[in-house]
Amino acid sequence: MINVVVVDDHPVVVAGVRAWCADADPPIQVVASGPTVATAWVGPGAEADVVVLDLQLDMTGPAYGELKRLVDAGRTVVVSTMRDDQETALTCLDIGAFTYLTKAEGESHLVAAIHAAARHEPYTPPALAGALGTDTNPNRPRLSEQEVNVLREWFHCESKKSVADALNITVNTVNTYLTRVRAKYASAGRAAPTKAALVARALQDGLVTIDEL
Amino acid sequence: MGGELGSTERELLRAGARYAVGLRALMSAVAGMVSIALETTAAPVLTVFVVIGLVAWTVYYAHQFPRRGRLLVPLDVTIVCAVCLTQLWTVPTGSAHGITWVIAVIGITVIAYAWQLSLVAHAAATLTVMAAFLVGAMIADSPGWLDVLPLQLWTVVEGGLSRALYLLVRRGARDADRAVARSEQARRDAAVAEARRADEREYLAALHDTASATLLMVGSGVTGRRTEWLSAQAARDLDAISGDHASPAGEVDLVAHLRDVARHLPLTVHWDAPGFVTVPAADAVALAGGVREALTNVVRHAGVGEARVHVRRDDDSVVVEVADEGTGFDPARVNGHRYGVTRSIVERLTRAGGSAEVISRPGNGTRVRLTRPFAISTDTAGDVETIKSGVDTALRWSVVVMNLIILFGLDLPRLVANQEHYSSLATQVLTLVVLTAVTLVVAWHLWRKRPLGLLRWPLVAVVFVISALCTEAVPPGLRLGLAHWSEGDAAWTLLLLVLDYRVAVMAVLLAAHYAMTFTQTALGGDAAITVAEAVNATVVVFSYQLAVGVVTVVLRPVAITAAAVTYREERLRTERAVAEQVHRDRTERYAALADSTAPLLAALASGEADPGDPVFRRACAVEAGRVRRLLAEDTSVPDQLSHELRACVELAERNGITVHFAERGERPQVPKSVRRALTDPAVAALATAASTARVTVVGAADEVTVSVVADAPAELVPMNSDPAIKVTAADNGGKLWIKTTWRRT
Repeated sequence: MINVVVVDDHPVVVAGVRAWCADADPPIQVVASGPTVATAWVGPGAEADVVVLDLQLDMTGPAYGELKRLVDAGRTVVVSTMRDDQETALTCLDIGAFTYLTKAEGESHLVAAIHAAARHEPYTPPALAGALGTDTNPNRPRLSEQEVNVLREWFHCESKKSVADALNITVNTVNTYLTRVRAKYASAGRAAPTKAALVARALQDGLVTIDEL
Repeated sequence: MGGELGSTERELLRAGARYAVGLRALMSAVAGMVSIALETTAAPVLTVFVVIGLVAWTVYYAHQFPRRGRLLVPLDVTIVCAVCLTQLWTVPTGSAHGITWVIAVIGITVIAYAWQLSLVAHAAATLTVMAAFLVGAMIADSPGWLDVLPLQLWTVVEGGLSRALYLLVRRGARDADRAVARSEQARRDAAVAEARRADEREYLAALHDTASATLLMVGSGVTGRRTEWLSAQAARDLDAISGDHASPAGEVDLVAHLRDVARHLPLTVHWDAPGFVTVPAADAVALAGGVREALTNVVRHAGVGEARVHVRRDDDSVVVEVADEGTGFDPARVNGHRYGVTRSIVERLTRAGGSAEVISRPGNGTRVRLTRPFAISTDTAGDVETIKSGVDTALRWSVVVMNLIILFGLDLPRLVANQEHYSSLATQVLTLVVLTAVTLVVAWHLWRKRPLGLLRWPLVAVVFVISALCTEAVPPGLRLGLAHWSEGDAAWTLLLLVLDYRVAVMAVLLAAHYAMTFTQTALGGDAAITVAEAVNATVVVFSYQLAVGVVTVVLRPVAITAAAVTYREERLRTERAVAEQVHRDRTERYAALADSTAPLLAALASGEADPGDPVFRRACAVEAGRVRRLLAEDTSVPDQLSHELRACVELAERNGITVHFAERGERPQVPKSVRRALTDPAVAALATAASTARVTVVGAADEVTVSVVADAPAELVPMNSDPAIKVTAADNGGKLWIKTTWRRT
């Protein structure tokens, strides 16, 4: 059984997440939920495997500080936000969030992301793929042309099958590319326990080599 | 002369020629009449006839010149030559000064010719008249005539100087025309731009209310069958989008323009204005500028969040008042920059030909009233200044040059020739030096474009004093004679000092100077010459000085006329430019709709199309989306691609479609035509999707991709002819996926 804590100030969103998790296979249990990050630090939430964090908890802007404290404490955080833009996505990854998804992607990707998080396997939803595939910051990992193509097509169509068809590769290859890119990003920037776990997993699965990182 | 003359140059030449012939008639009459009255000649009766005949002719010539112009000149030259040949009988013998009434007439004649004849004709006429004069003098052969000949031949130089004056002033006029033309260009551009915006606003509003509404209605299935009113509506829509019948070109709605200005300010504006006030585009620009500043002032200084704008149009002016109930201030005690902007409103409106008034009291709010009259004469104050200062500067330079030529070409030789006669040679030399120095001071200020300011009156005093000293140093018996060079010529320096001053002051100073010299001479006893000779000598110099001085008088009306003419011409040109540009815009805008919207409306209007046919309905829905995109076109938005797509997304959402829109990456600027091609599939898919659509935009260094995934019919995939654009279509799990990529080349 995977335990999650949902930090979100919107009751409708929390209810939605609870409903998706109840139908999940393998099952996911929402052990705690609340409008502030305290829910993830005390009580049953403190022991949850995965934290689902809404970035916009009040009017003071994105809760990057809260995210950082959770990450530094070794927690696995799935950021779920209304902020659908490149900068937010990349900042969350830099800080060490396990993954980033927009609320619009919740229904199709949140459960899968929680499953992946529990296994420390990378998960790259389309909104994040779009951000990675158009990242031009020279301090971030350099991606191959095909990696960029996969990321952008995935962002456009939300269907790995269609990406595979469009680029004349298999769905497996699409997954490999997405994982590899995620590992490259995990090995860049500030150190964080979740990042290390992701990189270790990717190396172990032979998706990346030390040289590629 | 090449090219079209500017209005200032044209007006100047016309006024100059008119003035020159008039001055000549007057001066000839004075010299001739004084001679008849005071001098004795060999044939007094003949002299009377000659003088009266000449004066009559000159007056006739002055009267006819504007009509007949150059046809009269050969006859005029012949008559003046004939008069020269009568010197044996009509000129008293043995003048010590050499300045007879004939030489006075010749002098003013060749000076006036500069304004009437071409360079060659002027030179030929001057030389012909001088030759006739020489022949006449030779025939008369009065004692000592050879001695005064050099002085008489100076008349040729005067003709040349007059020519130089004419050329310089004319060049000043031309420069002024250019300066005005440059500012006109700017004004015209602003007016055209404003008219285009206004027309566009109006067109888009019309489009929104007509074609867009009808297409949406049909597209969404609200009207599922042919009806008479739908056909009639479609016909009206068709007429509205193709018609060229918006507001008259060159005129814009001031109220809409002002509202537009106020919209961008963090201020609640209460409007007290009629529905619309039509004014020339240029006026709207000027008034809107003032209103913007006034409202900005409210935001910055008044300490209140609201203002009232009152617009009123009378028969002859439009008045805009901006009032607030803020802190207010005392306009009389405005210092520094705090309310500097308020002051700049006044300046701006005055410059543009209107007026502005600021009424405020501490604690009682502020009212700024901007008035813009429609009358032409006051619309041109700025141009009048430009023109006047251009011509003024040229005139003053020419007088500087002329004065130096006279001082060193004419006066210095006279001084040297008579050096042993002066009681103090040093005073004579000092006078020449001082007059030269004063001239150079004026030249220096002209060069630095600075006004003379406080220096003017001390310098005037210096000229008077040195001139008096110089006269004292000439022995009484020689005064007003050849040796007395400073007598008339010191006045040139005086003229130079007050040339930009009031004309009355100028005339009084010149007269005072002559009066002073004559008084000194009279007090000294016997002078070198008779009263008549003195009059003639004075006429020669004074008429020329007056000629120069009065140019400044005619200058002001010339500048005003020229500016008014310029304004009228500018208005015509602006109207033409606005009409052309607006027509081009409308044609272009219609072209964007002609191939797609117009046929649909036409089919609806004729009843040929069935609004219930799903294919036709879909076409209408797509077209409604395109029109929506067109309405979203707004050059003031930094990211137009996104702006237009969002507008279409919004429309789809209103029709109940779930749309996800996301953008990633930085994009290069996308040209308008490419933007349309890029967004076309997305617009069509959004308009025809059954329930969901995903629109994504990805930008890279040289590339933009717009992708749409929607449950929309597959026949939407557009034909593509642009090699820079790549369109791919695929099935995405039962949905249509169209991707359009533009690569910058």
